Amino acid sequence: MMLLVPILVAPAVAALGCLPARSPRVMAFVNVLAFGTTLALGVELLRQLQAPPHVVTEWEEFFRADALSVWMVLLISVVSLGSSLYAGRYFERDLAAGVVTPGRVKEFFVLTPLFAAGMFLVVLANNLGVMWFALEATALSSVLLVALYNRNTSLEAAWKYVILGSLGLALALFGTVFTYAAAIDQKSTALPSFNWSHLMSMAGQLDPRMIKLAFVFVLVGYGTKAGLAPMHTWLPDAHSEAPSPTSAMLSGVSLKVALYALLRFHILTTACLGSGFSRTLLLVFGLGSMCLAAPFILVQTNLKRLLAYSSLEHIGLICVGFGLNSPVTIWGSLLHMGYHALTKPVLFFAAGNIHQTCHTLQMRLIGPGMVKMLPATVVCMGLAAVAATGLPPFGLFFSELTILNGGFAAGHSVVSTIVLLALLGAFCGILYQLTRILLGVPKVARTSDAAPWDGVPAMGLMLGALVVFSVWLPAPLRFVLQRAAGIIGGEAVP
Amino acid sequence: MNLPQSELASQLITLLAAGMLVIQLLMVVQGMLLTNIRLFALQSLMLAAIAAIIAFFHNATHVYVVAGLTLIGKVFFLPWLLNRQVRRIQIEQEIAPLLNSSASMLLCGGFTLLGYIVARPFTSLERLGNNTLGVAITLLLTGFFLMFNRRKAISQVLALLTVENGVMLAAVALTTYGMPLVVELGIFFDVMVAVMVLGLLVYRIRETFASMDVSKLSQLKG
Repeated sequence: MMLLVPILVAPAVAALGCLPARSPRVMAFVNVLAFGTTLALGVELLRQLQAPPHVVTEWEEFFRADALSVWMVLLISVVSLGSSLYAGRYFERDLAAGVVTPGRVKEFFVLTPLFAAGMFLVVLANNLGVMWFALEATALSSVLLVALYNRNTSLEAAWKYVILGSLGLALALFGTVFTYAAAIDQKSTALPSFNWSHLMSMAGQLDPRMIKLAFVFVLVGYGTKAGLAPMHTWLPDAHSEAPSPTSAMLSGVSLKVALYALLRFHILTTACLGSGFSRTLLLVFGLGSMCLAAPFILVQTNLKRLLAYSSLEHIGLICVGFGLNSPVTIWGSLLHMGYHALTKPVLFFAAGNIHQTCHTLQMRLIGPGMVKMLPATVVCMGLAAVAATGLPPFGLFFSELTILNGGFAAGHSVVSTIVLLALLGAFCGILYQLTRILLGVPKVARTSDAAPWDGVPAMGLMLGALVVFSVWLPAPLRFVLQRAAGIIGGEAVP
Repeated sequence: MNLPQSELASQLITLLAAGMLVIQLLMVVQGMLLTNIRLFALQSLMLAAIAAIIAFFHNATHVYVVAGLTLIGKVFFLPWLLNRQVRRIQIEQEIAPLLNSSASMLLCGGFTLLGYIVARPFTSLERLGNNTLGVAITLLLTGFFLMFNRRKAISQVLALLTVENGVMLAAVALTTYGMPLVVELGIFFDVMVAVMVLGLLVYRIRETFASMDVSKLSQLKG
């Protein structure tokens, strides 16, 4: 049975299906249905990967899913599902408030599945060139989502996003071309295959200087899309100006999909050059992102920008974990990707509810005492914030500890200490800022929200999944994660 | 393939690549938007010619497709689209770039030098022409500079497109036949869609801000 093609087709069909639809509720339902389907297909893929050869290929190896791809497919499905569950009510309220036009809402429900389909193609394509244009497609579909509200600031954010993103992707294309050139045999005229699996099998024969140059270009290029500092400047703008369901997808998976593309090149470079070169660069950029994010979190005044900087910090940590390159830290980073993908959308959904109630994201204006206005939202947000700052009993505590522990065990005590300090800064920042607006006695008189339960199903679902997977990691998932860690660590060259 | 013929192809490609570089430098000093669009079309025409020469001398049919797409897309369609946009919003000149034209020219001379230095270790890997990789990297660097130096949204789009031309030149120079057709097609359509998306945004920015000056987009900070 075909699996990979349907995963790509389902969201594309949903996008087409939303074109003639009129009611936002129907469009949201179509979206939920599509992502439910991809999630089910992803789980089936997970099951198939348990058996050797642990790789699924289709269309003569044009599509290829190994353990790492499957993990990404699951993350994309879950976050997209959560977003579309939340989006239905969110846009009904926006429409009622007159913030958006019905045409824009349709734009959202058509572009979101396309955005997701692009991400699925990134992780399922075997061809590095196809991976590039899929990533460009995600950037182009999401930029219109960022500009959805058509405010001055959202247009500014979208412009910054598309210009920096396109520049980054142009650099990544340079890197991709160089990688291809490195694979060409100077003596023969035959064209090599551009498939990742093929390149990996001949990694030893690639021109090392070319691969080095290629990795630098790809790092800066895909690094821009992944939001690594100092190329991150588009990130807080885009995340804060986009509609909340889009912010959740951008932060929850889009950053990680770009990181996935970077990882593929990291694996190739490591196989070609030995471990030192690309891993050190990942480490430096990861640490840089973490250290830069922490102070911005501490002084932030805008709620969604706060969350965006927290994403920057988490993506930095994930990068550090891969950069440390010991089996333990890679495993920790992969887990961290998953837990973060379940946590951050909840925070953005809650921020969306607060935005719709208070009509501002400035924390000063939101003021204390949100718990009285939106009790259910605030409880979810509080729990997610506790999780995101890395407190037990949530999984992020475990994955952060794993990375730190692995770092110390591998003798990188300086790096680990810096990570610890940055985490501490972010921890204080987020809890301090959020307690100020969530708890306490309201100072601003507001009419209480008519529908305090809006968005709670989506938030509850993701939080529930987070709690479940924090204490119990199913054996198939554990197996796939271990294999993925092996692939990144260069143990199991396919 | 006999030697003189391939020598001729190589010379032609070197000449055209140098032409692309000269046009890029002209764009750096040229402030009129419509002229810039024409210069971009000319640069793309040279890229298409390079692809056609390769296709002809190496009997590679799929490279004709690349040449044709470049011709239709970058020489005719995109310039037409951008032209229409410039006329519709009636802003024809780049006003007050951050760096004046003589300083820009000097800087871009430096970029050219840098591009050639970066490309130097790889000249032995070039399969076609001399120093085409150096030109490609220079196009990238000057394209970046153009983007930061210009304030009009359409100029930034043009700068992005010249960077794209640089990538295509690198692909041709390093790999003879360019990349696999599916990748080339994907890149082509992405570029087309990108320009349309950018155009849409420019239009919306123009509507909201009554200006196409991106330096006015400066509310989001910190």
